[in-house]
Amino acid sequence: MDWDHLELKPSVLLAVKRAKIQSTKEILSLSGLELQTLLKLSQDDVLHLQKIVAASIRKTPAITALQLHQGECPSFDQTTKLSLGCPILDKFLRGGLPLVGIAELAGESSAGKTQICMQLCLSVQYPQKYGGLGAGAVYICTEDAFPAKRLQQLISLQHRLRPEVPVDVMRSIAFGNNIYIEHAGDLESLNMCVSKRIPILMSRGLVRLVVLDSVAALFRCEFEAKDAIVKAKHLKTLGATLHNLSSSFKTPIVCVNQVTAAVDESRLMEGSFGILEKKVLPALGLTWSSQVLIRLMVSRTHLSVQDRFPQLTNHLWHLGNILRTMEVIFAPHIAQSFCFYTIAMDGVRGIQANNAEQASTLNT
Amino acid sequence: MQREVASLALAPTIKAKLIGAGFVRVGDLHEVSAAELRIEAGISLQESTEVLQTVFPRSHEKGSETRWMKATEILEQEKSCRSISTFCAALDTVLGGGIMTGKMIEICGTPGVGKTQLCIQLAVNTQIPASFGGVEGHSVYIDTEGSFLVDRVVDVAEAALQHCKQQHGKTGQLGALENFTLETILSNIFFFRCHDYVELLAQVHLLPDFLFKHPKVRFLVVDSIAYPFRHEFEDLSVRTRLLHGLAQKLLQLASQHNIAIVLTNHMTIRLEQNNSALVPALGESWGHVSPQRLVLYWQGKQRFASLTKSSRQKEQMVPFQITSHGFHDVQLFQSQVTASISSATSNTTTVNARKRCRVEDDDEHEDCL
Repeated sequence: MDWDHLELKPSVLLAVKRAKIQSTKEILSLSGLELQTLLKLSQDDVLHLQKIVAASIRKTPAITALQLHQGECPSFDQTTKLSLGCPILDKFLRGGLPLVGIAELAGESSAGKTQICMQLCLSVQYPQKYGGLGAGAVYICTEDAFPAKRLQQLISLQHRLRPEVPVDVMRSIAFGNNIYIEHAGDLESLNMCVSKRIPILMSRGLVRLVVLDSVAALFRCEFEAKDAIVKAKHLKTLGATLHNLSSSFKTPIVCVNQVTAAVDESRLMEGSFGILEKKVLPALGLTWSSQVLIRLMVSRTHLSVQDRFPQLTNHLWHLGNILRTMEVIFAPHIAQSFCFYTIAMDGVRGIQANNAEQASTLNT
Repeated sequence: MQREVASLALAPTIKAKLIGAGFVRVGDLHEVSAAELRIEAGISLQESTEVLQTVFPRSHEKGSETRWMKATEILEQEKSCRSISTFCAALDTVLGGGIMTGKMIEICGTPGVGKTQLCIQLAVNTQIPASFGGVEGHSVYIDTEGSFLVDRVVDVAEAALQHCKQQHGKTGQLGALENFTLETILSNIFFFRCHDYVELLAQVHLLPDFLFKHPKVRFLVVDSIAYPFRHEFEDLSVRTRLLHGLAQKLLQLASQHNIAIVLTNHMTIRLEQNNSALVPALGESWGHVSPQRLVLYWQGKQRFASLTKSSRQKEQMVPFQITSHGFHDVQLFQSQVTASISSATSNTTTVNARKRCRVEDDDEHEDCL
C-alpha cells in the first residue's frame, strides 16, 4: 500500500509506515483506541487518519435520488433495463431486468425457465435502442447439456419474434457467436468460472449477461442435510461473487432455481407463496433468498390458450398451446402480481390479460 | 475520579510521562491547568490541553455545563422529539407514533416481506412538511444490497404527495405544499452504495462531516447491516467487534443530530435438537445493540409486524399491507382483522419463534446479573 498519495500529516504518515500497516482495510478494522496504541498517536491524529483513509475509499460523493431518477450518474444507471424480448413481459417487469442484481427464476421442471433464459441471451445482443445491451452472454449449465438445437431454432425465428427490429440490424448480429457456454459439473468449477473466467470476458466488454442454470443443482446434490452450515457459507460466497460481478460490470445475473414442496411447517414463515399460492418454495432456503433481488416464479397451468383467451384464436399461429404463468414473488419495485405467457416455436411471449381475466384465474 | 490514568484513551508516551509525574488517577488532574500540566509532566502545551480535554470533556472549556438531567426533563425533551409516520396507523401506534427521531431501531424480516419498502416509505415520509405533522427533514439511504430502486421511490413519493394534497383539501393549508414536490422529495434523499463492510465502515467515518453539512437530515437507514457482515468473516469475534463499534458510532450520531436510525437485518434459521426457529441474523450478542427491534413476517397471505423489543412501547403485533402506493393499514372489516390476529396468536410456530429469542435474551440478562 502506497500511503504517500494520501494527504496525511507528516507525523501520522510516519507512524503508519513505522507500524507497517499494509492496507486501508486494516486501519478501518481497528478501533480508535487500538490505533492510538498501535501507532502511538493522539486521539485527534487518529481521527484525522480515519477520516482521510475513509475518504480515500469513498470517492463518490452523495447522490440524490433525483440524480438517480434522471439517470445522471452513469455508475448507478437505473434507467436502462434488459428487455426480455417481449413488450408485454417487459411491461409486466416495469421495463425488464435491472442491470445490477441477481434475478432468480424459479419453477418446476418444464415450466419454461430455460426457454426464458435463452431468449434473454438473444435479447441482450440487440442494441440498447431495442432493449438489449449490445453484448453477448455467458450461459453456465450445471444440470443438462445446453440445448444448442433449440437455440439455433430461436435464432432463425428471431425475425418473427421481433418484427420491430429492422432486418439489417438483425442481420448484423451474429447471435450464435456471442453466447459463451460453460459447463460446471461441481462447485469448484463453478467458483473457478465465476471468479476467474467470466471477469475476463466481461472486462473485454464481450458479455453483459450471466445465466446460471441452475444454481440449485450443485448445492442440492453436493451437500447433505447435516452440512447445512458449510452449504450456507458456500452459498453466501457465491452470492457475494455474483453481486460483485453484477455491480462492477453493470451486468444482470439470472439464476435458475428449482422448487421444493413446502411440507415442513417451519418453512412456511420463510416467505410468501405469492398470490397464486403454489404450494412450493424455491429451493436453497433463506440464505440464498437473502441474496436475490428479484424472485420470479414460473409454472405451467392445465389450461390451453384457447380455453382462457378465445378471442386470441386468430393469433394462435404465434402462441404456444399451453398457458403458463410468471409471477413476481418479491422485487423492490414490483408488487406481487402475475402474468400469463406461452412458449412457441419462435420464443416466449406474454399475453395481455385484463383484470377480470386475471381475477378469474385466482379463483379457480 | 478513581479511574487510572493508564486506562485513558491517550498516547502511551504521554500516559507514561503523566504517571511518571505522579498523575496516577484522574482525580489527580482535577483543577490542574494546561500550563501547569505542561511543566509538571514535561509535555508540550498542545499535548497537555488534549489530555485535559480527554479527561474532562467539555466541562474543561465551558465550565460547569455538565449537570444531571432529571427524568421529567428528559420526558419533556422526548415530547418535543417528532416521529416519522409509516402511513400504517396500526404500526404507528405500536411504535408510539412512528419511528422516533434520535433513536435507533432494527427491522428484521425474511426476503420480500417489506423491509426495503418500509425504509423507502420512511425516507419519503421524513420529508412531510411540519404543517402536516411531519418532521420536514432530509434522508440518508445507505444501500449495501443494491435494492434501492428509484422507480419505487418515485411511486411512494407520488402517493405521499397525493395523500398530503387530500389532507390539504380538507384543512386548506395554503402554500404548505409549494416546497413539497416530487423533485424536492427525490433531491432530499441522499443515496450511498456500499459494496462491502470496508466501504460501510469508511462511510460511517465520513458521516459526522456529512451530517454537519446537512443539518436537516432526520432519517438514516443502513439497508442492510447484515449483508456485508454475513460473508468474508472467518473470525466471528472480529465481526462482533466491528459491528458493535459501528452501531456505537451510529447510536451516537442518532442522539447528537436527532436522527432516526434504521438498520435492517436478515432472518436465519436456528436448528435446535428437533425443531428449527426463525431468528434475526448476526448472532445473539447483536440482539442487545439496538434498543428497539421490529420483526416483519408472513402469516399465510398476510404481512405482520411485531415489536419484539422496546424499552418504551409494549410488545405488540399488527397486520399491515404494501400496495403500489406503499405502506398501509389492512383494509378489512374489523372482525376479519381480529380474527386474523387471533389465528396468528394461536399459531404456535410464529409465536414460538419470537418468544424463544425473547426468552433467551432474558436468560442472558440473568446470566449477566
